[in-house]
Amino acid sequence: MQQTHSTHSTVLGLAGVAHVHANGVRALDHVDLKVSRAEFLTFIGPSGCGKSTLLRIAAGLVAPTRGKVTRADDDATAFVFQSATLMPWADVARNVALPLDLAGLDAADRDRRVGAAIERVGLSEFAHALPRELSGGMQMRASIARALVTEPRLLLMDEPFGALDEITRGRLDRELLELWRERRFTVLFVTHSLTEAVFLSTRVLVMSPRPGRIAAGLVIDEPYPRDESFRLSARFAEQCAQLQNLMVRAGAA
Amino acid sequence: MSNVGSRRALVLAPLAVGIVMLLAWQGLVSAFDVPSYLVPGPWLVAKTLVADWSLLWASLMVTLGIALLALLAAVVLGVATAFVFVQSRAVEVSLLPYAVLLQVTPIVAIAPLIIIWVREPLPALVICATIVALFPMIANSTLGLRSVDPGLLDLFRMNRASRWQTLVRLRVPSALPYFFAGLKVSSGLSLIGAVVAEFVAGTGGTASGLAYQILQAGLQLNIPRLFAALALVTATGVALFAAASLLAWLALRRWHESAIGT
Repeated sequence: MQQTHSTHSTVLGLAGVAHVHANGVRALDHVDLKVSRAEFLTFIGPSGCGKSTLLRIAAGLVAPTRGKVTRADDDATAFVFQSATLMPWADVARNVALPLDLAGLDAADRDRRVGAAIERVGLSEFAHALPRELSGGMQMRASIARALVTEPRLLLMDEPFGALDEITRGRLDRELLELWRERRFTVLFVTHSLTEAVFLSTRVLVMSPRPGRIAAGLVIDEPYPRDESFRLSARFAEQCAQLQNLMVRAGAA
Repeated sequence: MSNVGSRRALVLAPLAVGIVMLLAWQGLVSAFDVPSYLVPGPWLVAKTLVADWSLLWASLMVTLGIALLALLAAVVLGVATAFVFVQSRAVEVSLLPYAVLLQVTPIVAIAPLIIIWVREPLPALVICATIVALFPMIANSTLGLRSVDPGLLDLFRMNRASRWQTLVRLRVPSALPYFFAGLKVSSGLSLIGAVVAEFVAGTGGTASGLAYQILQAGLQLNIPRLFAALALVTATGVALFAAASLLAWLALRRWHESAIGT
């Protein structure tokens, strides 16, 4: 852990962050966190432990009640939501183009980047399909293409594959890892799947239930690329067991 | 049941009911020898409609003109008001009670005032009909502009969208299904408003609309013409609703649940 921290600069720092929702619910209680460049950092915990709130604070969508947030790449952050969150009236290409349209990019540049992003997630054939004409997995791919089109340095993902079936989720996990290795962006990933956390991450943080705190951390010191053979290995099972242990101790499982 | 079969039944079943009722009406009128100044049979109504066509057609154009102008005014004013409302809750809370006031005040009660204040009959009638048709446009457009996927709103915020960009690219498209629901209601109301206003105005009105013909026919005991004018009003209302529904379908058929597969 020390190594990743010292060799890479910090892209995101949270110091003493706490958050109380408008309805009085204490969502987060004193979170200290340093995220290093190109880390794949996953938060795991039961529902209602403040994982989503933590991510929204990191995205700048929510101002924390207390504490400080520092971001190195302020304008290069993208968010992938729990659901695909596509505009139902716009086709895939127009949905993916949205961040560039809002930034006022010229049409030629925009179309080139949109085409590349759509191709990267394997949706070229469906560029002019409407969201309702796509499967859940394809909608999520479109959502990821929209996040990638701005070439973010920090990608925040809030249970992005939680609503998908096991097979689709496994495939998207592998594709996401490929993208991450190719682009070297930093990922903050939220999940409640223990195996997904171990498979993807360089580091997993276990969150305890309400009010959310970071109860434990586990560095997954396994080489990339990780593929299905890693999923079936004894090391994988070992890491899962260790994480499960930490979660039980944190009262998170 | 097959899809095509059920769709055909959707048209044929009400048509059959209508034909049966018309035949029963004609049969009863003939069997009991009901005088035409009490209840004319549908056949006589149809004949009157043809015989008085030039008179009724001219009247229909007057009433339809009032209704369409009122609908246009209601759409423009309603959408504009909705845009103002969604800018801030404070504005909406302050103004909404007065929009409701406009809605609940019976038009027959204020129409005489409007007709006195606005000397020109045509604008006076259009104002009356607009008041009747306005509220559904305000209520539905406001609801629509507020009914935005919160995730998409977050996305726009994260990408630093301006208020204008959020309005044009997100709020307006999200509001379209609600807008068209309002348009379907208001299209019918604009006609009702036009007819009611004509009735209240009586001879002080344009003296040429369909309501005026109904009024005159009643006074002259020309009941077949009264029925013919009535049938024309009803048909016009249905046509307005159908036109609004068609517009909604054209705008939403590709993406909105309400218009897909219909």
